[in-house]
Amino acid sequence: MVEDTKQAPQRLLDVTDLRKYFPIKKGFLRREVGAIRAVDDVSFFINEGETLGLVGESGCGKTTTSRCILRAVDPTDGQIMFRSAVGEFVDVAKLPQSQLRLLRREMQMIFQDPFSSLNPRMTLLDIVGEPLLNNGIGNRSEREERVADALELVGLRPEFMRRYPHAFSGGQRQRIGIARALVLRPRLIVADEPVSALDVSVQAQVLNLMMELQEELDLTYLFVAHDLSVVKHISDRVAVMYVGKMVEVAVSQELFVQPRHPYTAALLSSNPQPDPRSRSERVVLQGEVANPADPPPGCYFNPRCSYATDICRTQAPQLTEISPEHYVSCHRAEEIELPGVVMADSNGIG
Amino acid sequence: MDSLLDANLERPKDEFLSVRNLHTHFPLDEGTVVAVDGASFDVAAGKTLGIVGESGCGKSVAARSILGILDKPGVIVDGEIRFRHRTADDESGEVVDLTNYDVDGEEMRSIRGGEIAYVFQEPMTSFSPVHTIGNQLMEAILLHRDVSKSEAEEIAIDMLRQVGIPLPEERIRQYSFELSGGLRQRAMIAMALSCNPSLLIADEPTTALDVTTQAQILELISDLQKEFGMAVMLITHDLGVIAEMADDVVVMYLGKVVESAPVDDIFHDPKHPYTKALLQSIPRVQSESREMLASITGSIPHPYDRPSGCAFNPRCPSFIEGTCDVGEPESITIGSDHQVSCFLYQEG
Repeated sequence: MVEDTKQAPQRLLDVTDLRKYFPIKKGFLRREVGAIRAVDDVSFFINEGETLGLVGESGCGKTTTSRCILRAVDPTDGQIMFRSAVGEFVDVAKLPQSQLRLLRREMQMIFQDPFSSLNPRMTLLDIVGEPLLNNGIGNRSEREERVADALELVGLRPEFMRRYPHAFSGGQRQRIGIARALVLRPRLIVADEPVSALDVSVQAQVLNLMMELQEELDLTYLFVAHDLSVVKHISDRVAVMYVGKMVEVAVSQELFVQPRHPYTAALLSSNPQPDPRSRSERVVLQGEVANPADPPPGCYFNPRCSYATDICRTQAPQLTEISPEHYVSCHRAEEIELPGVVMADSNGIG
Repeated sequence: MDSLLDANLERPKDEFLSVRNLHTHFPLDEGTVVAVDGASFDVAAGKTLGIVGESGCGKSVAARSILGILDKPGVIVDGEIRFRHRTADDESGEVVDLTNYDVDGEEMRSIRGGEIAYVFQEPMTSFSPVHTIGNQLMEAILLHRDVSKSEAEEIAIDMLRQVGIPLPEERIRQYSFELSGGLRQRAMIAMALSCNPSLLIADEPTTALDVTTQAQILELISDLQKEFGMAVMLITHDLGVIAEMADDVVVMYLGKVVESAPVDDIFHDPKHPYTKALLQSIPRVQSESREMLASITGSIPHPYDRPSGCAFNPRCPSFIEGTCDVGEPESITIGSDHQVSCFLYQEG
């Protein structure tokens, strides 16, 4: 592995066997008749200072996973170990509410929709300063100063502080959302589809800003998105989810060039390329995403998988490390050859 | 009407749909929103025209102007929309200007949904939740085709089968909320195609869908296009979808067509600074991770606050002071079928 080249990267977050089931209730007595397995035995880690991209289609559990990490929803089971500023690991999943507040200063969230996530009746000073107020940090003038700093960081003029969100465009609003997340100087930022509501030209600005801020402030990102090109662009490592399960985790470049799970390969092939010359005979995945309340036996992907054999229909595969830092959950990962992205001037992977 | 048609000089014989100098305004209390500001483009019979642009560029309003389904108080103030209208006796049909028809009149109602079909972005909201899928399909068929109720049901089942919906006999008794997003969009396409249109307008047909479902729907549209020989006008903000589907591309910015060309020229030989910038600002899976993207500075101006001169001038890297902020560039033709509206290419 890489131990001898430099100091091994520090884990910031280590998630093991995370589960979140939502009960399905029916009838007059609201009896529980089943459960939607939104997140089902998910394990992954994030190193300090890196970006982990989390991709998957709607309903795959990527948002639920990210909300569990912040304890915006309480997980059903599992461990979420977070290394706090003092260097100790704490299990976020089991922390009582009273201690969560302190920890949440270190983890903040950026939301998808910059139009509905900002209160139209609050000025930028109130919006960006609210986390400070909630945590009882500073007096009025100190708060104002920190809000001004945060606004400047995201490329907005501090004079805008007294204005209301309606005066700003979509891209500027997303900057306000980022400023709000940064004002407490967190170490982990969970960004749930932060650019999917933005126009292409503005999306690039926000992605660049996020990368610059990461360098400047030593931030760690969990970047949740469905757009593969965006995820490839910003992530060091990428995790792919399907129906509540983690199917593949690898270093970004390797995952795109050499996918080892058939679902990852199918996702890559369905992603339309902005080049008419690469119009190809694409492998269009047939069928639909499995129902998380009633998943098929064996591997959840088997009804849509062209490589499925008997074992796939009966036995659920486990996430295993098949090469350094490359985790796959597929019975046949070792034997099948899957097409990946052909790089423009490919010099292989490192 | 005739004099209007003669006013335009070049009029190809095989003209199918030509929009000329379209101006669509929304007069509001606060001021007039100029949604489409002199757009001209053509759709060739049996081909796919992709219209691409960011929010507020007028691409959807242009499409809705063609069908006469503008939201109030939208109104077409100028321009022509010439469409080859099917007639009973003549195979090739006759060319009519749709702006001359009353939007609620009989002619427009027979064209809309019959000859020009529309697929909306939101499959969630475009079906009625209180009628079954079958009833809604049959309603459209009975309205536009001279068939009995039982024949209409047969056609409906057949259409659902053609768009790849399993067990169509059962699906027609279901409501839209019982179908998944992908199936709902398939049903929407089935409804659009049930009257055998010659033009399908698809407004962001896959934006609300997941990538694997998007790939299925795009494949379906191009398969059906080959089978039925209809023209498709595909409106989207996604350059990947355009590259995959379109024969010709129109790029719009703030209500104007800034560039139009065959798809290969748009992606490999773009002329307008906006098209170039747009192509550079999209992240690609082939690029290295964590590279900075070339971004367009500033943001799209508010429709009340349009810049003078060329609409793109405040954000343009090739801005020429005293030219771009004063006059509006004319559309000029480069090569055989590549048009661009930019001062960089004026004069010669």
